[in-house]
Amino acid sequence: MASEKNNHHRSIPDINGTHPTPKKPKLSSSSNFITASEIQSEFSHHDSAVSRINNGSFGSCPSSILSAQQQWQLKYLRQPDHFYFNHLKPAINNSRSIIQNLVNAKDINEISIVDNATTAAAIVLQHTAWCFREGKFNKGDVVVMLHYAYGAVKKSMEAYVTRAGGKVIEVPLPFPVSSNDEIVTEFRKALEKGKVDGKKIRLAVIDHVTSMPCVVIPVKELIQICREEGVEQVFVDAAHSIGCTDVDMQDIGADFYTTNLHKWFFCPPSIAFLYTKKNPKTGGGGDLHHPVVSHEYGNGLAVESAWIGTRDYSAQLVVPEALEFVNRLEGGIEGIKKRNHEAVIEMGEMLVKAWGTHLGSPKHMCASMVMVGLPTCFGVRSDSDALTLRTHLRDVFGVEVPIYYRPPRDGEVDPVTGYARIFYQVYNKVEDYYKFRDAVNQLVDNGFACTLLSK
Amino acid sequence: MAFHDQNNNHTNGEVSKKPKLSFSAITDTEIQSKFSHHDPTVVRLNNGAFGCCPSSVLAAQRQWQLKSLRQPDHFYFNHLQKGILHSRTIIKDLVNAQHVNEISIVDNASTATAIVLQQASWAFQEGKFNKGDSVVMLHYAYGSVKKAIEAYVTRAGGRVIEVPLTFPVTSEDDIIREFRHVLEKTKSEGSSNKVRLAVIDHVTSMPSMVIPVKELVKICREEGVDQVFVDAAHAVGCTPRVDMQEIGADFYTSNLHKWFFCPPSVAFIYTRKSVNSVDLHHPVVSHEYGNGLAIESSWIGNRDYSAQLVVPTVMEFVNRFEGGIEGIKERNHDCVVEMGEMLVEAWGTHLGTPHHMSASMVMVGLPPSLGIMNECDAMNLRTHLREFFGVEVPIYFRDGGEVGCVSGYARISYQVYNKIDDYYKFRDAINQLVSDGLTCAFLSS
Repeated sequence: MASEKNNHHRSIPDINGTHPTPKKPKLSSSSNFITASEIQSEFSHHDSAVSRINNGSFGSCPSSILSAQQQWQLKYLRQPDHFYFNHLKPAINNSRSIIQNLVNAKDINEISIVDNATTAAAIVLQHTAWCFREGKFNKGDVVVMLHYAYGAVKKSMEAYVTRAGGKVIEVPLPFPVSSNDEIVTEFRKALEKGKVDGKKIRLAVIDHVTSMPCVVIPVKELIQICREEGVEQVFVDAAHSIGCTDVDMQDIGADFYTTNLHKWFFCPPSIAFLYTKKNPKTGGGGDLHHPVVSHEYGNGLAVESAWIGTRDYSAQLVVPEALEFVNRLEGGIEGIKKRNHEAVIEMGEMLVKAWGTHLGSPKHMCASMVMVGLPTCFGVRSDSDALTLRTHLRDVFGVEVPIYYRPPRDGEVDPVTGYARIFYQVYNKVEDYYKFRDAVNQLVDNGFACTLLSK
Repeated sequence: MAFHDQNNNHTNGEVSKKPKLSFSAITDTEIQSKFSHHDPTVVRLNNGAFGCCPSSVLAAQRQWQLKSLRQPDHFYFNHLQKGILHSRTIIKDLVNAQHVNEISIVDNASTATAIVLQQASWAFQEGKFNKGDSVVMLHYAYGSVKKAIEAYVTRAGGRVIEVPLTFPVTSEDDIIREFRHVLEKTKSEGSSNKVRLAVIDHVTSMPSMVIPVKELVKICREEGVDQVFVDAAHAVGCTPRVDMQEIGADFYTSNLHKWFFCPPSVAFIYTRKSVNSVDLHHPVVSHEYGNGLAIESSWIGNRDYSAQLVVPTVMEFVNRFEGGIEGIKERNHDCVVEMGEMLVEAWGTHLGTPHHMSASMVMVGLPPSLGIMNECDAMNLRTHLREFFGVEVPIYFRDGGEVGCVSGYARISYQVYNKIDDYYKFRDAINQLVSDGLTCAFLSS
């Protein structure tokens, strides 16, 4: 925050309460940078009565991009046939091209635009189901996923992989977690388990950032292990990544990779891309098809996805505007990522100090979010309690923050069982976190416990 | 010529019907205003492809979008499901389904098709259907439906049988006869292979004709077809009698953005309660997997559901017209047939379907001198009409005609925003092309 030029509002103090010296602004392009008040204006459609510290769920979209989207919608409604024949495809290709460059994919054909990561997961897993059904994979061959894989992805595994005869192995993960090594160790163990009895591991589904609890996974390392251990393909579910973590297809090395652009890349709901590495031998993208089959079936996933029947494609067309917006902030997407990360850690530490708890993961395993332990007196004892507490914070205090229930392990004495997943995005202010801090402190003072609410 | 305005008032000076006093009927000016976002320089005769949406409904959609953007978590927990259920309830009443659980909202008929066919695909793969069992479809089934059948049925080992249809068509009996013939032939082949699914259009796309679905569903039941899926992409707001009890299909889908004034895009899929719905799931699997298609479809990941939430607003709009949606349908039909007859008289051609097999669209023969010889010609002519005359109308190439015969048909539509001048403009454009001696061969060079 302190590094932004024209910083008209308070920079975030460090944990000693002092304001850091502002960094010298870059003079050469400073006149183009967005100001803090412009940022607030771009997000003025957000409910100002709510401390919005849950950017990770639904993302956010500046009003200038919403306007651009509306222009596309009006263009379509004005003369849809003309739009379909003459505008839609070039505009989607423009978006795909920008994404290709952003993520360092080699070939634009490797980039398909879809609604969201959930759709991308369905595409990859439906393909896996065909492989099992058509005998390309044997019954009992394995698909590995993380225990903290997103709930919808687990259901997709059930719907497509288990149903088609595949065996699903979960990698248990510790939480709180203190180092990448803990994850790597569990992952290796799971792969060993998968290879028992001569079975093959056909696919590993790895989150780049898990959802709940929220932890950055060392994907690059895990993929390398996959290659060493003969896992056939790797699908990285990076629902959060662009704008939140580093995203370089060559560096990460996955076969399939998906991320939402409406979470951290300022696009409107909803748009995501699915990267499918071109097979150097066959030149093909792995024979995936969009489950909604339309006229373009057989022309490759990217082209198929660009027409899946009549619908509103406008969210897919404003990627250029999203990039423009991002470049109005100092350092572009890299600058945003860095500042979001620093700010959320700072806020997280402020909170754990205020509450006497701890963070759920070390800084290097957090991106633009961090898991913050809640006071144990809340007595969070179930997912239901967590949701009830979340609702209470929303309804009574105007704080929007997801709460995670972490079941206690044997032998733990008075463990922290509730964590708040706080995020930081460009529209956030330090007051948002003070409001949350104070809300929790008030609940503690009032002797709040989840059991009281669930009556 | 008695051309109806939207409230059944004849414009040629005849005594107009007395307007109902109990509601504020929408005026022609209001209608034009509500569609003022359409390109005024373009004559829009292709409502069947992309539909249309009045500005009041677009404004309501925008309100929903802003509500979600304002506080998306609150929206997700407290507003979304209620809003979708409200829409589903309205649709259930509209189409006379027995229970709201039979109505799921999806993006479009293509998605509904994928849902039904994926279910069939699982059945083939899991041995519930035998390899070689058949799926029957019409020759004029929509192109993307044919591809979906290839992607899900053929790939899984099912056999696909097409019911040949002729065009121009003169009577429903031809269709009924052909359909029955195909089913009987398949049975008589003697093998144990069954017809597992029949995919029947309610209104075919190109060429467009109303199919006697009720009769065909009855034949399916008589001939032991397991399941019937009616692809009624156009039906709601276009064909008469969209009644789930009357039609009797197992699955029925219709878009609501084509003829029911919803924004792009929203459709419903009806699934008869008696069908084992456990296998029917949305291909985009999310948290609600296993809770039934209707619930699953109401959350398929983070996206903009606003088009699905404005069905109540659309009902309000539709009820401002005399007779509501039935009145609109009736007038659209009368007008499009009237306009079609006007055109064929002007051009010396003929309609491709009899009146009772046209709903809000009709196939109008184009002058043979235009020389439409293939689909490419049809597309070029369409582009030429768009770019030079500002007329948007899809052209169909009819194979198998003799030289000098009508080989091209325009599929004209009529919707509430259309005016008689639209069709005069089209008439004059074609007349000019003919008198200029233009042929499609010339266009493609």
